[in-house]
Amino acid sequence: MTLKKKAQKPGSDLLQGTLDMLVLQALRLGPAHGYTIARVIEQRSDAFLQVEQGSLYPALNRLEDRGWLDSYWATSENNRRARYYRLTPKGRRQLERESEQWAQLVRAIGLVMRPIEE
Amino acid sequence: MRRFFRRGRLDAERAREMQAHLDHYVDDLIAAGHPRDRAIREARRRFGNPAAIREEIYEMNSLPVFETLLRDLRYAFRMLRKTPGFTAVALITLGLGIGANTAVFSVVNALLLEPLPYPQPERLALISYDARSPRGENHSTGSDGQMFMTVRDNAKTVDAAAVGGTTGVNLLAAENQAAYVQQQRVSAGYFRVLGVAPLVGREFTPEEDRAGGDAAVILSHGLWRRLFQGDPSVLGRAILLRGEQYTVVGVMPASFEVTERHSFQAGQGVDLWTPLRPSTKGEGGGVNYSGIARLRDGVSWTQARSELQQLSGQAFSLWQMQPDVTVTLGLVSMQEGLTADLRQPLMMLWGAVAIVLVIACVNIAGLLLARGSTRTREIVTRMALGSGRAAVIRQLLVESGVLAIAGGVAGLLLGWGALEALKRLGLDTFDFWQPIRLDWRVLVVTMATAIVTSVIFGLMPAMQASRLDVQAGLSEGGTRAVAGAANRWPRKLLVIGEVALGVVLLISAGLLLRTFVHLRNQNPGFDAGDVVTASVSLQDARYRDPAKVNYLFTETLRKVRAIPGVQGAGVALGLPYERLLNNGFSKIEDPPTETKITNQSYVTPGYFETLRVPLRAGRLLTDSDTSESPGVAVVNEAFVRRYFKGEHPVGRRIRSGSLEREIVGVIGDIQQGSAGWGNFGPISPLPCVYIPASQTSSGFLTLVHTWFQPSWVVRTGGTVAALLPDLERAIQGVDAQLPIAKVRTVTEVRGDTLAQQQFMMSLVAGLGFIALVLAAIGIHGLIASSVSERTRELGIRLALGATAAQTMQAVIVPGLVLATIGVAIGGASALAVSRLLRSFLWGVTPTDPLTFAAVVILLLGVALAASVIPAMRVLRLDPALTLRAE
Repeated sequence: MTLKKKAQKPGSDLLQGTLDMLVLQALRLGPAHGYTIARVIEQRSDAFLQVEQGSLYPALNRLEDRGWLDSYWATSENNRRARYYRLTPKGRRQLERESEQWAQLVRAIGLVMRPIEE
Repeated sequence: MRRFFRRGRLDAERAREMQAHLDHYVDDLIAAGHPRDRAIREARRRFGNPAAIREEIYEMNSLPVFETLLRDLRYAFRMLRKTPGFTAVALITLGLGIGANTAVFSVVNALLLEPLPYPQPERLALISYDARSPRGENHSTGSDGQMFMTVRDNAKTVDAAAVGGTTGVNLLAAENQAAYVQQQRVSAGYFRVLGVAPLVGREFTPEEDRAGGDAAVILSHGLWRRLFQGDPSVLGRAILLRGEQYTVVGVMPASFEVTERHSFQAGQGVDLWTPLRPSTKGEGGGVNYSGIARLRDGVSWTQARSELQQLSGQAFSLWQMQPDVTVTLGLVSMQEGLTADLRQPLMMLWGAVAIVLVIACVNIAGLLLARGSTRTREIVTRMALGSGRAAVIRQLLVESGVLAIAGGVAGLLLGWGALEALKRLGLDTFDFWQPIRLDWRVLVVTMATAIVTSVIFGLMPAMQASRLDVQAGLSEGGTRAVAGAANRWPRKLLVIGEVALGVVLLISAGLLLRTFVHLRNQNPGFDAGDVVTASVSLQDARYRDPAKVNYLFTETLRKVRAIPGVQGAGVALGLPYERLLNNGFSKIEDPPTETKITNQSYVTPGYFETLRVPLRAGRLLTDSDTSESPGVAVVNEAFVRRYFKGEHPVGRRIRSGSLEREIVGVIGDIQQGSAGWGNFGPISPLPCVYIPASQTSSGFLTLVHTWFQPSWVVRTGGTVAALLPDLERAIQGVDAQLPIAKVRTVTEVRGDTLAQQQFMMSLVAGLGFIALVLAAIGIHGLIASSVSERTRELGIRLALGATAAQTMQAVIVPGLVLATIGVAIGGASALAVSRLLRSFLWGVTPTDPLTFAAVVILLLGVALAASVIPAMRVLRLDPALTLRAE
């Protein structure tokens, strides 16, 4: 078999799982189109996280394929046709799982990284 | 998976979505005070390349297996299109092989595999008997009266019935509505055993089915519609059958199909049924019934067989047997019993088409191998560039798969065409109970054949290709090595094999052809030109009296002879090429118990003269041989050779039953159909006794007229068409209620007798021809590819001064060597195979030197032609160009 090897973007693996979680979280507030999702993540992270557009859409495709999102076309606040995404019940459960895992991870890393008392 | 198929549409949607993203971005930037053009630029810059993103998503949605399969398929189609010659040859080869198989399998399917058209056909049986003696064993189906009635009255495990012969009879449904119809006599319970109830009315009661019972008749659906317009009130109506009155008691449904393997008039449907009235004397004294039985519910075959075996003593109590012979009663499955005679020829035929298919596969394998070797460079290049072995094999398999499926479709079409052709060729000489058609079973077998062929024969070159040493392959291909033929031996073996198989098939076809020609060209023993025959059924109550019969003969002959252009006319019980009555006789000087068997026919004066049969000694029959004059007979030379060898037969006396006759003349032999005894061919000059029609008894006539229909033979100077109305008028002029059953020329009678032989021969010859074509393609392919592979070598030879003739020789000789080896192997195998054919051969030995020599010469000739044609390419070689090529 000659499976074509995908050109891996450095660091994208690391980002992937996290971005998925961020997107799901962004949609917890309600249906949104891609641009809004990117803006929400940026704003909520105090502009620390700049969502790379090149990763957002593949992530949306992937999440929808897994059944965590579904999408529909609607008119945006700017009076433009845009594709809106919303969480499915399955996606909501996934988000809860991931949030929990994330919290555990942050706590664990925090524990490791806490100042060492000599 | 869903996304895989929809990804084209999804991609377009994604593009629109991203455009919307950009637009929103631009809106925001403008709102933040940027000028429009800068906003657009900035948005684009930040967003990145939408096409690249879409491509990434597109990839995400793809399935690798499908992807590669589609690519392989596309590639395969492109390869096949680029080599139209190869593709055409491969498709023809596969099409022929699979087509022939499809057609023959359809026939086999209809005859041997399709169940009988009755409910629960697997529980239907024929009553059979086994005769065992120290000299051997004999297994037969059929019953006599005692056997059948024993089973009917005693067996608890089976429900039994019997069917007698089917004969053509005269029916008078109303005044001036005479018809010639096929009557079958069946016992009470016949329809119940088969499991088909009458559409209207009822079947025969046991009371009707015994001597002296009411004369009842059941009509076929066809006859009911034809004569009574489907009127249900026909029940109770009286019709005149054979001059006797019968009451209609039932009508069978249209779906009731009748098998008539036991009728003398095969190929005609049954129009009506009358009670069998079985007896242990006369007809029932010999094995003239077919006993059928249905196993009762819950009874196994073993139980039924063992019960019947216990009834053997009673069933055969009337048989006079030698003390060392034991006969036991048994059962065979009805389908098996009905197809017993056909099984062997059909299986042979199937064997023949299987050989054709093997040859076709061999060709395909050869073609693929050849292509594999010409594509060595392509393959090693791909492997050198990192393509895996598996990828190469997969690619080659997909190619041969595409080829096989296309070939399967071509085969199906060809098979359908062949089947139509077979039907026209006279497939109806066999008895069918199912229409022959391409059904799903045939389809499955055909496609399975194609796919198995593809896998096996596609794999072989693929494996060979994948074993290639990349470095050697590249360097060999690169420098066009001089004679790198080390890996061609599998192809050579294949060519040897297909030539050998072709020889076997062609020799079989040749032997059957010689048999057919032998039978056809037998000296008829009479002048067959311009002789028309017309037969009528005299199985009729009005014709039990010999005087009536002879009045009919004399009067009609007087009228026929008066027709202008008629040169002679006579009547006989049996026509040339037809089967004749078997009868026992003894010489007067021998004790009456010592009977010999002969064929027999009654004839009127004028019969021999009309046929122009030569008189060898004594005299022919004349008008002065009457019922009052002394009994006489004319015999033929075959009779004399068999029973009066070296003696002078004229004046000698023979006895048949209580009647004594003097042999008054000897005539030349006339070809007759199968004898029914002894070891005679389908057409042969049988020993025969001819007695005057005037010197027959009522009992004799009644008996023989149930089996045979007398025929008028007329020699005319004019055309058959012109004679026909006059002939009809002459017969109807004497008896207006006597319909003519059949009008044929003597040549047509011969054709009817030989129909099965002709059918088998045409079929095997057709297969032989296909095999020849395929073998030629195989040899041609081998030589052609060896020429193209050796182009460089041949160019060098030419450049070094070899003549074109020498170069061609170098190419052709290997082909001829292979063909010769193949012919030798095939010839040896044919010697073994033709022994199996022995029972189908007449007038030719299974080792007929002429056939063997002709096939050998034919195949070597074809091999030579198939080698020379591609070798001609050598003549067009320009050494300079060749050396520079590649």
